[in-house]
Amino acid sequence: MKCTLSWLRNYIECDLPTAKLVQGLVMAGLEVDSCQELFEYLNDSVRIVRIKSVRPHPQADRLVLCDVDAGGERVLRIVCGAPNARPGLLTVLALPGTSLPNGVIIKQSKIRGEISEGMLCSEKDLGISENNAGIIDLPDSYAVGEPLVDALDLHDTLLEVDITPNRPDCASVIGIAREIAGFAGKKLRVPVAQNLPALTGQNLPFSVAVDSAACPRYSARLLNDVTIAPSPWWLKKILLAVGLRPINNVVDITNFVMLEFGQPLHAFDFDRLAGAGIIVRQARPLEKINTLDGVARQLDPEMLVICDHEKPVAVAGIMGGSSSEVTASTKRILLESAYFDPVSIRRTVRKLNMSTDSSYRFERGVDPEGIPKALERAVQLIVELTGAKLVDDGIDLIQGLPEKKVIKLRVQRVSDLLGINISAEEIERLLLGIEIIARQIDELTFEVVPPTFRVDLEREIDLIEEIARLKGYNELPSTLPVTPMSFPENCPVRSLRDKIAATMVALGFYEAINYSFVSDHNVDLLGLAVQDKRRQQLRLKNPLAEDQNVMRTTLLPALLENVRRNINHQTSDLQLFEVGKVFLPQGGELPEEDERLTVVMCGRRYPGAPVLHYSANAVVDIHDIRGVVETILLQQACAGVIFDTDSVDEQLGEAGESVVLRANGRMLGGYGLVARNILKNFGIKQDVYFIDLSISLLSLIPPEPKTFRPLSRYPSVTWDVALVVPEAIKCGELLQAVHEAKEVLFEKVELFDIYQGNNIDKGTKSVALSITYRSADHTLEDDEVEITHKKIINLLISRFQGKLREV
Amino acid sequence: MEEELLRLQSEAKTELSTIIRPDELESFRVKYLGRKCTLTMLMRKLGEVSAQDRPRLGNLANSIKKEIEADFLEKEMALTQLQATGKGESRKDLTLPGRVIPFGRRHPVSQVMLEICRIFEGLGFAVAEGSDVETDYYNFEALNIPKHHPARDMHDTFYFDESVLLRTHTSPMQIRAMEKQEPPLRIIAPGKVYRCDSDITHTPMFHQVEGFLVDRHVSFADLKGVLSIFIAKMFDSNVAIRFRPSFFPFTEPSAEVDIACVICDGKGCRVCKQTGWIEILGAGLIDPEVFRMVGYDSEKFSGFAFGIGAERIAMLKYGINDIRLYYENDMRFLSQF
Ligand SMILES: [Zn+2]
Repeated sequence: MKCTLSWLRNYIECDLPTAKLVQGLVMAGLEVDSCQELFEYLNDSVRIVRIKSVRPHPQADRLVLCDVDAGGERVLRIVCGAPNARPGLLTVLALPGTSLPNGVIIKQSKIRGEISEGMLCSEKDLGISENNAGIIDLPDSYAVGEPLVDALDLHDTLLEVDITPNRPDCASVIGIAREIAGFAGKKLRVPVAQNLPALTGQNLPFSVAVDSAACPRYSARLLNDVTIAPSPWWLKKILLAVGLRPINNVVDITNFVMLEFGQPLHAFDFDRLAGAGIIVRQARPLEKINTLDGVARQLDPEMLVICDHEKPVAVAGIMGGSSSEVTASTKRILLESAYFDPVSIRRTVRKLNMSTDSSYRFERGVDPEGIPKALERAVQLIVELTGAKLVDDGIDLIQGLPEKKVIKLRVQRVSDLLGINISAEEIERLLLGIEIIARQIDELTFEVVPPTFRVDLEREIDLIEEIARLKGYNELPSTLPVTPMSFPENCPVRSLRDKIAATMVALGFYEAINYSFVSDHNVDLLGLAVQDKRRQQLRLKNPLAEDQNVMRTTLLPALLENVRRNINHQTSDLQLFEVGKVFLPQGGELPEEDERLTVVMCGRRYPGAPVLHYSANAVVDIHDIRGVVETILLQQACAGVIFDTDSVDEQLGEAGESVVLRANGRMLGGYGLVARNILKNFGIKQDVYFIDLSISLLSLIPPEPKTFRPLSRYPSVTWDVALVVPEAIKCGELLQAVHEAKEVLFEKVELFDIYQGNNIDKGTKSVALSITYRSADHTLEDDEVEITHKKIINLLISRFQGKLREV
Repeated sequence: MEEELLRLQSEAKTELSTIIRPDELESFRVKYLGRKCTLTMLMRKLGEVSAQDRPRLGNLANSIKKEIEADFLEKEMALTQLQATGKGESRKDLTLPGRVIPFGRRHPVSQVMLEICRIFEGLGFAVAEGSDVETDYYNFEALNIPKHHPARDMHDTFYFDESVLLRTHTSPMQIRAMEKQEPPLRIIAPGKVYRCDSDITHTPMFHQVEGFLVDRHVSFADLKGVLSIFIAKMFDSNVAIRFRPSFFPFTEPSAEVDIACVICDGKGCRVCKQTGWIEILGAGLIDPEVFRMVGYDSEKFSGFAFGIGAERIAMLKYGINDIRLYYENDMRFLSQF
């Protein structure tokens, strides 16, 4: 809602400085989006002048030389190209030094050889309106030499106020003035039309019938002998300032009164209404209307329309039709002021996708009692400004207006909810400041009938909010609640997510956050199999962009996109992770939301570490990414996770370089080298390793309990062994076998070398192990170690077709 | 014999003067002062010279030995000192970067979310997370935003179908929590929220922490108290705060909370649109209609709720000027926080 300070001052005497006024509005709940000085750039150098004579420019056909009286002693010479420059014209001159709103600074100059001592201006040149048809043509009532800003009273301040949906009463200048009156302690003056004949509906030359519950009040008057013309300057100035284009006196008046009272009005050209009457009804199936914006609209029976005796002539409360539009030749006007059901208007607005200043007010609720007031105000202005003659009487049909509510307000309740101690007197006084009359029925209770313009006041709590607002939120005390202690349970997925994230950060990974919606094409880029459940994507009905049209079923594509983007910006050593949800339709109303950890890793090992200490050429490989997986599992003490190295279930990984992780028979996720064809699809030319893990599933695995093992006081003994085993033997299984032998003296095993080549048979490899033994109760003797060591070696030899390597 | 002794003395002097490293000094010691050194060999030969010259040459040899020893000790001391003051050749370059395996970082938005949660957890709030995909009922209807209410205009909503949508705020958790348990309750609900809106100040996905407290005798003053603590901990205990009336369908009285602009210190700048204030959260007392939807008696219980946007707080805390940077995951951005 835009309005100027000078307009507000028509209704309230308020001498508050602008900054205080703005602050008052903000603290009353009317957020001021902007506060802007108008025409600051126009100063004394723009003046009203009279053209004394006009001669052709000797060098240019389209230009003329004007002698101009600017009120000084000397006549000024101005070169002008406007078609309406003529002797005797009262117009406006910008003297050298003026800066125009388009950035031009006026200088004395030579135009095609002729001196010009300024510029004669159009309204557009000065930023007054969009009118650029010629230089300004002023009526003779203005004085030559007067600065334009003074003559037209241009200096003003424009406020743009953000109106919350509950306050349609403030979608009007009077509504805003009322709020100011409330906090400034001033009296509001509302213009009331005087001496108009009553609206009795008798002996009218027109008829009105209302045939819909969606129109509980409809009032109208007829005006004859209207002269359609441009509006006077004061009216144009107001509309221009708030960004409305002046059209003609009648239309401008309806717009002015809508902004003034918050009640939209509509003027019909009465002679173009078939049957000289109005019928308000629901539209019929397949009915159509051409609205004023030049669009043919399809109507349906949910929509309320205003009709003449043949056809719809307006979409009620939203926009008029062109068939009865007021034009330059209009002679008789039927002026409508009505109440339309907010929900009905809102439905129609959504269906027709057409929101107007009028519908904005109706769908939030206009003042049912303000309907005739706004009508009479407009009628009076039309009579005054167009010379129209009002037809005696008019109509005001009322049926089924919303009932007036009586609200019980308890003083104690106000104190309790606001945390204060407020008196009945103060409540009464505060409410009265914004025209809410509270009638005390006993010491601690009021009855309040809210004013009809406050459609938002329906319950006690609504009044309590008013009291808080009027008292000032910042005046209310600040205390702390007294709530019994309780232990806040945390959700396991959240705890695990934060623990994992902390581990990732410690391992040198940066957290990425990507949008939850992605392109449906991603699953194709991943080459997922037809039956893969990640292909079942939840589709948005109204995506902002095609590449955000489905909910993600995997975090990997976005992370690969992040990798590509960073490589493009010359960062190719990357360690990123994301913890977030994927969305998997599961048949019910809502999808399964699976919380996942996805990691990508590529380029140099330990990016960001000094190259001096770590080789610049050491790039990450499959063992690095496994190390990350192991650390996560170790950190969470998750036992029983199986590394399935032969599975083909993990389709994101390159065959032979990816591993599936399982637990309790379910697939937790996997890790490995991102399949090279996927990398190609994402435009990445270097190897990228990944982990993809369900945090939701991982959180279901109970962590291993931590149990203390006594520390041995006796020294350990470490013996090495080198075994030659077939090439295909997996060393991980070999190590596991050592553990699983569960020898009492066994403490740990370290794999320290794998060798193939000289001295080793083809098709075999040498695996060197270092095994540590220790006893809890004595110092080990060589012969007892030898027994255990041999047992383990023999086990390995027989299990893995090995033999001792001869040195 | 005498000549040999004197030559040895001058050789030792010259050699000692060129020594700069401790290992050179050691070989010098072996050569001139060791058990098998030239001087010792010469002294053993003293018995072969005439008895007449013997005392003189013996004295000479002894004084030369003492002199070399003294010079040696002096040199040794000098070298030790040189090393201690770090001027020796074998000194470590202490300016080289450390051998680190660098840490990573959480995303700035996560850091802010964790910080917000930490503050409220300190006040005894439990953390509950809801689903991102919600029903119209929990996101709107139960929060007193019926189908044809103009307040729906405040939420540009992503829909999957008529009744399923992406939550536009984390407020649905209020309903889900209150349906499950009786007061008192004290809960925060952090999470991602979505609005169908994208420009320099809006991303279609952002992060919010919803919080609410329901008990007997909870007042607007309590809301002010709790939020004042939050702001003091999140920003600075001296930052000016202002509460001003606003409108949310699920709270009444509703408030928006501003802090003095942290960029210009309240003087007015581009970020605060010259007002000196920056809006950081919305709040209010829970509307009785919401209580009615979950079957709470609003005469018995009252409560407050608030919603905090994490991106906005991160922007203020770190001075980030383009919200779109959050979700591009450029390392040059992520590594700054
Ligand atoms: Zn500022």
